[in-house]
Amino acid sequence: MYKFFDREKLKYCYQCGRCSSGCDINRLDISFQPHRLLHLISMGAIDKVLKSDTIWKCTTCFTCSERCPQGIKVTEILWTARAMAVKSNYIPELLITQKDILLRTGRLIPMDNKKREKSGLTAIQEEPSVVDRIFEIAEKEK
Amino acid sequence: MRYAFYLGCATPVKALKYEISTRNLAKILGIELVDIPEFGCCGFPVKSMDSFAALLMAARNLAIAEEKGMDIIGVCTGCMAILSEAREYLEDEKLRGKVNGKLKAIGVKEYTGRVKIKHFARFLYEDYRLDRIRDKIVTPLASLEFGIHYGCHYMKPTHAHGHFDDPSRPFTLDDIISVTGARPINYPNKNLCCGLTIMGTAEDLSFRLAAEKLECLSNKGVDAMVVACPSCCIAYENNQRLAGKRAGKEFNLPVLYFTQVIGLAMGLSEKELGFELNRIKVDRLAEKLIP
Ligand code: SF4
Ligand code: SF4
Repeated sequence: MYKFFDREKLKYCYQCGRCSSGCDINRLDISFQPHRLLHLISMGAIDKVLKSDTIWKCTTCFTCSERCPQGIKVTEILWTARAMAVKSNYIPELLITQKDILLRTGRLIPMDNKKREKSGLTAIQEEPSVVDRIFEIAEKEK
Repeated sequence: MRYAFYLGCATPVKALKYEISTRNLAKILGIELVDIPEFGCCGFPVKSMDSFAALLMAARNLAIAEEKGMDIIGVCTGCMAILSEAREYLEDEKLRGKVNGKLKAIGVKEYTGRVKIKHFARFLYEDYRLDRIRDKIVTPLASLEFGIHYGCHYMKPTHAHGHFDDPSRPFTLDDIISVTGARPINYPNKNLCCGLTIMGTAEDLSFRLAAEKLECLSNKGVDAMVVACPSCCIAYENNQRLAGKRAGKEFNLPVLYFTQVIGLAMGLSEKELGFELNRIKVDRLAEKLIP
């Protein structure tokens, strides 16, 4: 699978916790700590991260990435961890539904052309085949 | 001024007032937004399923725009962030070569890295320029006060967006709205995320995030919240009652798209700005504008 982060770079994380202290999800739910997740990943305990529902609490707001003094792409790492969780079959209900809609319609939200025309907007055709083929091609990337 | 109009998945279904007001605003500003039927999903939702598939989806859109010889203008902050990130990843020649090989297999010409991607607001700020907007104001909104919500992906990740705005003290939308004569206020949780991305996986946290900002702006007594993304609008407008319920509050805060605000100051009609589609009624606002 293609990964958009470099495990090597994680060793520059000195666990200062600045990512967590600026995170609004951490403020609302103390069990969510991005710096802890990174620690687990760099220690090789990634399966623990993938199994937990914690990574699905991140809003992908990028505040942590912008704050990290070491330039670590925290959000990108957590986001990639989700895709890795999905590959390891830890899939939230929502994603099953979303993938199904994407494959059926080519979009995240099915088109409603009646509503569009009522508002004077032109119809848009759904194009599902592209998504299907892209998933197929990506599936072969190890 | 011709641009490939990237509508995305949410706007043409869930944010018709945004689409309508954007199209009509562009028209009177003389900006040609060209519809590209071949555009597909930007890859945002797919990034949580398969990182490479997400990149291919974004790259496909960039390649299509490039083939048409147009830069991209969009209205969804999520789409703009994902496409801009892809653009940045594809600066790497090796990765671009690999991606182009796959694009060929789905019948798309190669992407060479030339397409620029801008949110419509950023485009107005950087390319169209505010003085030209000012020239077209016919109904100054001097009596109105707004709380602007930028949306995280509007300017973050900053490296992908070319550092055009400052995430800790964002200013571009404030400056644009100020041109209409309205007053954008500063408020404590201005940089808070709308939370919509986790609505399906951590619902309670999502509602709590939305409620915090709704409560803050309600207490400040602003005339409306102003947004620049369909997702943020769903979080704050469509879900306003639900978010309030969780917080034990009842909110009644109108939510406007920045395009509706500028259009209003330029004398566009309610219909041209899609105001009848606003769920939280804006009558209060209209009353203030009629002397
Ligand atoms: S802010 Fe950066 S260096 Fe500090 S704990 Fe987080 S990832 Fe590690
Ligand atoms: S991107 Fe995720 S982990 Fe980082 S600050 Fe935002 S919610 Fe927290």
